[in-house]
Amino acid sequence: MNTLPLEPADGGGRFPGFSTLAQARHWDPATAAVVMARLGRPPDIRFFTPAEEAVARALFDQLLDQHEEPRVPVVNLVDARLAEAETDGWHYEDMPRDSAAWKASLAALDQEARSRWDRGFARLGPVWQVRVLQEIQDLHHQSWRGFPADRLWSLWIRYACTAFYSHPWAWDEIGFAGPAYPRGYKNLGLDRLEPFEVRDVSPGADPARGGAG
Amino acid sequence: MSGVRGRNASAWLLPAGPGVHEQLRRNMRRYADDDEVDIVIVGCGAGGATLLQRLARAGWRAVALDAGPFWDPENDWVSDEAGSHHLYWTEPRVIAGTDPVPLGSNNSGRGVGGSMVHYAGYTPRFHPSDFCTCSTDGVGADWPLDYADLRPFYQDLEAELPVAGEYWPWGEPHGYPHRPHPVSGNGELFLRGARACGITAKVGPVAIANGRFGNRPHCIYRGFCLQGCKVNAKASPLITHVPDALAHGAEIRAESMAARIGYDGHTGRATGVEYLRGGLRHFQRARMVAVAGYSIETPRLLLNSASQRFPDGMCNDFDLVGRYLMVQGAPQTAGRFDAEVRMWKAPPPEVSTEDFYETDPAKPYKRGYSIQCVSPLPITWAEHVAAQGHWGADLRRYMSDYVHWACLGALCEFLPLAENRVTLAEETDRHGLPVARFSYSQCGNDRQLMSAARDVMERILAAAGAAEVITINRYAHLVGGARMAAGERSGVVDGNCRAFAVPNLLITDGSVLPTQGSANPALTIMALAARTAAGLIRGARTGLVPTAKES
Repeated sequence: MNTLPLEPADGGGRFPGFSTLAQARHWDPATAAVVMARLGRPPDIRFFTPAEEAVARALFDQLLDQHEEPRVPVVNLVDARLAEAETDGWHYEDMPRDSAAWKASLAALDQEARSRWDRGFARLGPVWQVRVLQEIQDLHHQSWRGFPADRLWSLWIRYACTAFYSHPWAWDEIGFAGPAYPRGYKNLGLDRLEPFEVRDVSPGADPARGGAG
Repeated sequence: MSGVRGRNASAWLLPAGPGVHEQLRRNMRRYADDDEVDIVIVGCGAGGATLLQRLARAGWRAVALDAGPFWDPENDWVSDEAGSHHLYWTEPRVIAGTDPVPLGSNNSGRGVGGSMVHYAGYTPRFHPSDFCTCSTDGVGADWPLDYADLRPFYQDLEAELPVAGEYWPWGEPHGYPHRPHPVSGNGELFLRGARACGITAKVGPVAIANGRFGNRPHCIYRGFCLQGCKVNAKASPLITHVPDALAHGAEIRAESMAARIGYDGHTGRATGVEYLRGGLRHFQRARMVAVAGYSIETPRLLLNSASQRFPDGMCNDFDLVGRYLMVQGAPQTAGRFDAEVRMWKAPPPEVSTEDFYETDPAKPYKRGYSIQCVSPLPITWAEHVAAQGHWGADLRRYMSDYVHWACLGALCEFLPLAENRVTLAEETDRHGLPVARFSYSQCGNDRQLMSAARDVMERILAAAGAAEVITINRYAHLVGGARMAAGERSGVVDGNCRAFAVPNLLITDGSVLPTQGSANPALTIMALAARTAAGLIRGARTGLVPTAKES
C-alpha cells in the first residue's frame, strides 16, 4: 500500500489506514481489471516527444502538487489517453483538436520560459513555474500565445484531474471508497459509514475557512 | 404488474439478477439489406428503442441501427468513473457561439440504450404549461399537441421503466407506480434545507425499481448510475424495451453508423438508410425510415442527406433543420458540512423540487427551473473544484474535504433560439462524413434563470447548515434541432413526428421537442415515440395515409 505524500496542513492523513485497495476482493472482474491496470507499470510514453514529456511532467507536478515519490503517474496516463485518441471528441472552434492543442500548448509553455529566463519550462525553479501558470490562469478570457487562456487552462486541468482522481491512491487521500459493485452500500445518510470506511479525523478542516482544523 | 407484462415483457425476459438475455440476442431475427423491411430506425436510445419495441410487438418487420455497441453491462461497464469513457459519443464535433456547450459526456450517448445508459435516472413529466409557452408566456413555441395527448403514454412508460417517487404535486399532480427510495446524506440535506426555506421538495421521480421488478433486481445503492447500471436496476431501453423488441422479431444492428437517408426523387419517399459497418457501405431498404440519433446527430444526418430535391439537406426546405436546439442551464451548487455527507453513496438522483418551474409574474424573466440532487464522483467533483480556480496544493486540500460536501443541480429552461443550431463543419470524421458544428449563445432570459437558480440552491444549502457554498455553471441535456410544429414553415415534423417534406420519414427523438421545460427529457422522448408508434399501428403503416388532423 502506498500513501501519496501530503502534509496534514494540505489535507494529508485525514483518513488514517483507509485503503480502497483493501476492498478489491469485493469488486467485479471487469472493474477490477480497469482499476488494477492503473497500479501496474505505467504505460510507456508514446504520444509526447521527449521535449513535450519534460514540459508536461513539470506542468502536471505543479497542477497537482506532486513533488516526490510515490506519485500518480499522471503524465503517462494522459499520454496514453492522447495516444489512444480517448478524447471527448469536441473542440472549441477557436482551439485545435485536443491532441494538437496539447502539443502546441506544451511548446508554447516552453517558449514562454525560454524567452523570459533562457531555459526550458522543465528547468525552471518551482517558484517560476508557478508564476508562469498563475499568469496564464489570471488572463481568463484573454489570449495567451494564441490560445484563449481560460479554455487552455480548462484543457490542462481537466486532463490532469481525470488522470489523478482515477487512481486508488488519490481515492485513499479523499476517503472515497472506489468501486462498489456488486456489494453496494447499506448505510446511507449523514455520518453513516460502512464498516470499511474510515471517518475523517479533521472534520473541521474546511479549506474555505483556512485549512487544517 | 400483469398489465405491464402484457404490453412489454422486457423485465421478465431478462435473466434473474444482473446479466443479459443471451438467448434472445443469439436468436435475434436478421434481415438482409435487400429485404424491404417495414421500418429502419436510426439510433437505439430513448426514442428509437421505444418505437422499435412498439412496432415489433404490432408485427412490423423492424430494424434498428446503432452506431455504438450492443452493450453487455456485466462485461462492458465498470464501477469506475474514468473507465466509463466509452459510454459517450466521442466522435469529433466543433462547438462555437458566445456560450459554447461541451459535448461528449453527460449530454451524449452511444450504443444500444443511448444516453439513458448513463443518465442519472430522473424521469419527470413535462407540465401542461410546457406545451403552450408562446401563447401563455410569450416566449418559446407552442407544440402541435398538448399534455393530454401525452398523458396515457406517460402513464404507460412510468409503469414500464418503472418510476419510483412520492406523490407529485407539480404540473398535473400524479402518483408513481413504485414507492420512493430511501435517501442518502445528500438527499437528507436537500430535504432539510428546503423545509427550512418553505420550499416543497419530494423524493423522486427516479426510474429505478423500488423492489424487484420482473427479473430485475433491487437497486444496491452503489452510486454509479452515471457509469451504466450493472445491476439492471436503473431503467434504460437496453433493459426496458430491447428484450421485448427482440422477442417480437426486431433486429438491432449495432456498430452501424448511418451515413445518409436514401431518397427517391420520383416517388418523393425515403427508400432506406445507407450505413457503414466494419468498413463497408451497406444500404438497408425500408418502406419507412425513422431517425432517432438525438439533437446533434439527427440534424447532421439530415444535412448529410442532401439530394437534387433537397440541396440544403433533407427536409430543410425552410432552413429549419438543426435550428432551435436547446440545452438546459445546469448550475451546480455545493455546500460544506462538518458532518460526513459522502454524497457518492446511493444513486445521484434522489430529491427534486419543481416549485420554480412555472413563470412567476413577480420575476423579470419567463419560465423557470427545477432543482435536483446531483452527486458528483471524484473526477467530476474535481472539475467543480477546479472550476473555482483551485489548482496545486489548494486543489488537493479542497479535494481531501470531499466527504463533507453536498451538491444540488438546477435545470433551467433555456429558450429555443433560431441561431442555436447544428450545421456541417469543414472537418470530417473517420468515415469522411462532415462533422457537426454546434453553435450556442444564451439570451438574457437564460442568464437570469441561471442566476435565480443559483440563489435558491445556495439558500437551500445554507438553510441546511452549510458553512460555505460554491457554484459552477454547466449545461445538461439536448433537445430540439428538428422540431415539431403545426406547419412546415415553423417545424420539420408534425405532431406525429412525421416529416412535412417526406411522408414516410419520421423523427422520433429529443430533436423534435419545441420547448424543454425544466424537466429531464428522457420520459417525454419515450412518450412521444410511443405515441407515434400508436398512430402508426392504428393504420398509417404505409406512410401513404395522411396523418390524422390534430384535434
